[in-house]
Amino acid sequence: MVYLRSEVHVKTWLDANGYEFGATFPATTMNALAKRWWSLRLDLDWRPRPLEESQSILDEVGLTGGFWQLG
Amino acid sequence: MDAFDLDVRRVVYSRVVADGRPPTVGEVAVELGRDDEDIAAAYRRLHDAHALVLFPDTLDIWMANPFCFAPTPHRVTVGGRTWTGTCAWDALGIPAALHADGHVETECACCGERLVLEVVNGELTRGADLLVHFVVPARRWWDDIGFT
Repeated sequence: MVYLRSEVHVKTWLDANGYEFGATFPATTMNALAKRWWSLRLDLDWRPRPLEESQSILDEVGLTGGFWQLG
Repeated sequence: MDAFDLDVRRVVYSRVVADGRPPTVGEVAVELGRDDEDIAAAYRRLHDAHALVLFPDTLDIWMANPFCFAPTPHRVTVGGRTWTGTCAWDALGIPAALHADGHVETECACCGERLVLEVVNGELTRGADLLVHFVVPARRWWDDIGFT
């Protein structure tokens, strides 16, 4: 999970490392996901989150489809 | 995950926030008034449950996500204090977890150019033009969390 400057840099980086294309999205989406995913992490009453709830968070920020299926 | 493991986890995260580093097994044992063996067993269970990540074959904490205790390109400053983020996601997760504004210094994975992101009131006010790439599909994130 890396930051890249542009689509050109994504392609160059994938080619240079021999990686298959996975998923690219804007940093704004990353921030939206980070807020939803991590905001309760330090709560004193934190409990493990059910998979369905985690899947819903991905759905909420538009990360849907097979690549984003957790289980 | 039982109440004791949750207590151990709570102490780990509180020490990470307070000290900027994870506690040793011995430090948690002292804080909770338990034997080292009890804490070691809890560390292993928390690792198995993906609630912590230990360095291989050790009881040293590698990740208490979103915080990381091995070098990465992602340096995150919140309130004048700096932590390391595990990845692009976790870098923005640190201000989210701390419910505070954050400054992320990182680099383009392709060219190494320094990149900066700023989070103010939960919104990305700098770095919004950047892209994130995930190589590993969600169902395989925990197959090799270090690579993911």
